[in-house]
Amino acid sequence: MNAAQSNKMSQSNQSNQSNQPRQVGGAEPVLRLQNVTKRIGRKTIVDKLSFDVHTGEIVGLLGPNGAGKTTAIRMMTGLIGISEGDVQIAGRSIQKHFKEAIVHVGGIIENPEFYPYMSGYDNLKQAARMTDSVTEQRIMEVITLLGLQEALHKKVKAYSLGMRQRLGIAQALLDRPKLLILDEPTNGLDPAGIREMRDYLKKIAQAEGMAILVSSHLLSEVEQMCTRVVVIQNGRFVTEQHIGEQGRVGALPELQIRVDKLETARQVLEALETVQVTEVRESKSELICQTEDREVPALIDALRHADVAVYRISETKKTLEDEFLQWTGGNQIA
Amino acid sequence: MRNMTRLIQNEWLKLTKKRSFWIPPLMLAVIGAGVTFMLYKFSTNVAEMDSVTVYLAGMLNASGLGQFVAILSIIGTAGMIAQEYAQGTIKFLLIRSRSRGQIFVSKYIVAVFYTLMMTLIAGAALYVSGGIAFGFGGTAAEWLNVLQQGAYGFVYALVYVTLTFMVGALTRSTGVAIGIGLASTMFSGIVIFREFYKYVLFPNADLSVYGTMGPPIPGMTVGFSLIVLAAYMALFIAAGYTVFRRRDVA
Repeated sequence: MNAAQSNKMSQSNQSNQSNQPRQVGGAEPVLRLQNVTKRIGRKTIVDKLSFDVHTGEIVGLLGPNGAGKTTAIRMMTGLIGISEGDVQIAGRSIQKHFKEAIVHVGGIIENPEFYPYMSGYDNLKQAARMTDSVTEQRIMEVITLLGLQEALHKKVKAYSLGMRQRLGIAQALLDRPKLLILDEPTNGLDPAGIREMRDYLKKIAQAEGMAILVSSHLLSEVEQMCTRVVVIQNGRFVTEQHIGEQGRVGALPELQIRVDKLETARQVLEALETVQVTEVRESKSELICQTEDREVPALIDALRHADVAVYRISETKKTLEDEFLQWTGGNQIA
Repeated sequence: MRNMTRLIQNEWLKLTKKRSFWIPPLMLAVIGAGVTFMLYKFSTNVAEMDSVTVYLAGMLNASGLGQFVAILSIIGTAGMIAQEYAQGTIKFLLIRSRSRGQIFVSKYIVAVFYTLMMTLIAGAALYVSGGIAFGFGGTAAEWLNVLQQGAYGFVYALVYVTLTFMVGALTRSTGVAIGIGLASTMFSGIVIFREFYKYVLFPNADLSVYGTMGPPIPGMTVGFSLIVLAAYMALFIAAGYTVFRRRDVA
């Protein structure tokens, strides 16, 4: 290697280092959004959005209608320009190295659209011809994975929405992407279809070992399959939440206790140091209190000693849905 | 290179897998045969032709079946870009590891193929029907003339197909593209006798006039027209290409 070459190489290494964001937790994120902004005219549709997605994660991008989810996804896939900031896929900028970045992405943006006059197979072949390495064998593999064998040679116009959705995922998976992006994949599906989709997405995430980003305006549809949700509203990042995390930060389990003597019960519980009474519901003769699991037996003993009859103890699980509505301020149309 | 041929293959299949694909070529063949029959039956000076080559040379250019080649090619290719938007398949197309430039070029190449195919079909229909009517055969010089007139017909159609292709890329509407494409073919016959008009696309599109009626405006030559046409086509392609590459796909 001559001096000029090695000089060039070290330069490119340096520029690589300075271009790439600091790596957190060792692994490079599959998808990284850095202050991504989209302005159309004077309107800012997505405003300085930043988050990462790592391999093996299924991340939900949540927000009410009009929050900017689809716009954000279109920027990630290069369908629309980015006004400010950058999107990197496997370390490659979608703006500067479109082909190298997008090669790692499989996606369905909005509805899965195909050439209706062609068969499902012909549509997959169309997709395969736009890749460098997809073989006939891989096409058949994906077809089997999604159970499309029987509909394969039917024209796509005869497909149900659920079938089109599956074909959409099949085409997205063809080139073994590192990142699967699905925009509102449950739109228009019936509950059975939604469940089916959820199941095969989980299956695929395991089988193919990739990151999945799913956008939705309905948390309940994705919370069961996501490991993490990113919530946005009015184009801005609102919050990020891991799902299935034991003991969310700062939150004690909340109990709802129905008793006969409400006032006595309140006094008894307030006397206990480990219990915080947060609410008294006279109409239902119920107390709401917070305490740790290990304190619950003592709580019950105390009530019994005070001769309070306990009819029911249940945990008031604040669902993610409630929190989601809280984060996004209900269902207001922004 | 392999990437490009496979993109072209994709585009060609998108056209040919449609059931309606066969309508324009069939129409062209029927029109070709029909026109030959009518001329043979009712036109005295054509019926006296002694060979198919003379007939072919007279019919392949824009004043003959070339006009139909242009119209049907416009209709056949106008939707190549607009349909992708209408079907929503544009997203499917653009989130692949292929540049928008490559996709645009592959589509244009297929539009050129289609126009060439239509020209050949017109030639074949006229040759078979004309051969039956006037007898097959012809001298080498006559065949050369046939090739020249065929090329003129092809260029004429291609100019308008390119214009239509650009309009399709700019407006994303098949209807508007066909409308503007067809309307513009009608301007070819109109000549405004002013100096500037020879730099306009329309009087230059039909190269066959130089052999029959002479230059539309004094001072024009085949070479001049070819340069003007090349400039316009380059402009159309550049405009379509630029817009297609930059546009936000919503």
